[in-house]
Amino acid sequence: MIITLNDVNKTYPGAVPLHVLKGINLEIDRGELVAIMGASGSGKSTLLNILGILDNYDTGTYTLNGTLIRDLSENRAAELRNKLIGFVFQSFNLIGYKNAVENVALPLYYQGVGRRQRNRLAMEQLERMGLADRAHHLPGELSGGQKQRVAIARSLITNPALILADEPTGALDSRTSKEVMQVFRDLNAEGMTIVIVTHDPGVAAQCKRVIRISDGLIVPDNTITAAGSTTVTTPDNA
Amino acid sequence: MALQTSLFDIDNWREIGATLARNKTRTFLTAFGIFWGTMMLSLLWGGSNGLEGLLMRNFAGLDTNMAGLFTSRTSKPYKGFNKARRWNLDQNDLDNIRSNVEDVDKATGVYQSWGQMSFGDKSSNGQIIGIEPDYLRMNSVILKSGRLINESDLAGSRKVAVIGDKVADQIFPGIEYSDVAGRDISLRGVYYKIVGVAKQIGEASVAGRIDDSALIPLSTMRQVESGSGNRIDVILVSPKPGVKVKELLPRIRRQVYPIHSIHPADEEALDCFDLSEIFEMVSNMFLGLTLLSIFVGFGSLMAGIIGVGNIMWIIVRERTHEIGIRRAIGARPSSIIIQILSESMVLTTIAGVAGIVFSTIVLHIIDMATAEPGLPACGFTLTFSNAMIVLATFMILGTAAGVLPAIKAMRIKPIEAINDK
Repeated sequence: MIITLNDVNKTYPGAVPLHVLKGINLEIDRGELVAIMGASGSGKSTLLNILGILDNYDTGTYTLNGTLIRDLSENRAAELRNKLIGFVFQSFNLIGYKNAVENVALPLYYQGVGRRQRNRLAMEQLERMGLADRAHHLPGELSGGQKQRVAIARSLITNPALILADEPTGALDSRTSKEVMQVFRDLNAEGMTIVIVTHDPGVAAQCKRVIRISDGLIVPDNTITAAGSTTVTTPDNA
Repeated sequence: MALQTSLFDIDNWREIGATLARNKTRTFLTAFGIFWGTMMLSLLWGGSNGLEGLLMRNFAGLDTNMAGLFTSRTSKPYKGFNKARRWNLDQNDLDNIRSNVEDVDKATGVYQSWGQMSFGDKSSNGQIIGIEPDYLRMNSVILKSGRLINESDLAGSRKVAVIGDKVADQIFPGIEYSDVAGRDISLRGVYYKIVGVAKQIGEASVAGRIDDSALIPLSTMRQVESGSGNRIDVILVSPKPGVKVKELLPRIRRQVYPIHSIHPADEEALDCFDLSEIFEMVSNMFLGLTLLSIFVGFGSLMAGIIGVGNIMWIIVRERTHEIGIRRAIGARPSSIIIQILSESMVLTTIAGVAGIVFSTIVLHIIDMATAEPGLPACGFTLTFSNAMIVLATFMILGTAAGVLPAIKAMRIKPIEAINDK
């Protein structure tokens, strides 16, 4: 198991404390392509943040790749994020004043990898994404699909155990959504574990497994076998 | 590892450059604050040194630990004498002070008279000062040509004179100083042989400006001015090193008063013009001025530093989202802190060094403009050690200015930062 969550609870403190996750139990195996679906306010973003070690949880246990994620120092959390997790965000989250290759290379910078090697590895990832000719463009000069592929290249560069994607197609039109999903499927075919948080059934339909979350709890028995399905629903936010 | 990476990785320097270059106007204005602060501090510091030098060089050539003793009317009746009696110092007192007062290093008598100096049809009015050779040790001069008054002139009561350069210019116009020595001059109708031409070093002198005077041996003066007896106008006294003139005065009074029948407690009859006191006053004044300059200068620099802190704060706010991205992809808090601190340090260092360089140039120009041949330089310079202090100050404070913003940046949770749009 790459991810094991055992009775994970999370409450946001406040005048009216908000119990967001009410005992999540979840196991994700190596090589899975999982969609986490839920309405807004269901707790799926909180779950993603916890999975990404971007946020803490209150009780329960979360084990990532054999490491118990609990009360980590900022440095240790940063190190685990860097080595184990590749993030892909809805709004790409590229650094605007750095070109594509620099953006892709950035995680390696924080590993202390030398510049030359960093940029060489980054170029390889960009080539893999078919963006070699865009390597020296700034994010502002790229289309949405290209930006997301740069972001995916960045998430891959540290050769992580897991890719966490938060609404990766949310800002893309239907055609580029399909392209990006195809990238994820190809990566998964190569053995990469990918967790995609989405509210788009069309995206979820392309995943091997869908986990539905509602009101802070996982809705049981929703494993569907949609892999290879050709009935892709067009996102209506295009 | 993180530090090494950031120090030697060209990307880090590029990134600093890119961040600072992104908002050129703002960076320039912030840098200007530091530049101005550093420049003010350096200019004021070096400037106050220079002003002190400018004033102090007026005293160049003068023994600073020296006092001139002079007499006034007595202020107390004593031994049948009424008060307000006139009296004079004389050769006997001088000998007495020299041999009987403890801690006197040098003592020399001066007798002055005003009169006409002439040769041929050229003449000039000025002081004719009877001196002993010690006088020129306490009040050094620049010898333009010839020699000074020496012991054998004094012993032989020779009719020799050292004349001031202005006197030489007036009475022997167009003649080289070296040719002036050896000529004759009439001082109040008596002919003397000129043995030297001299010029005062600074602006200040104890007994008349040497440039406009003629110096003759005191013994010769006595013979010529036969009416004066053994009278001495002023006795210059310099104490041994470490002793103050003030300590000598009561001892001198004890030696002099009984002979002239003056009340031992008379504070007015014999007083002194204490050069060391004036020196101390001037020194203190300039110490005050220097402290004020440093205070004001550091204030300006602080204002600049606070400006940097302010801008770093804004930069952190502006880049919260970016910092969040970096944190998400694995930047440690320390990497973020180093990044922010290096930006603030680079900005202050470049601007600060520019400030030091600029003020050094300005001070050098002032120093050259105030330079006068024969006089020591005023010292309108920021000394190397002071420059280092200024450098260390803005380096440390400039880095410190980044600390609060950097801590703020570190406190940003990656998830909050990512959502900060």
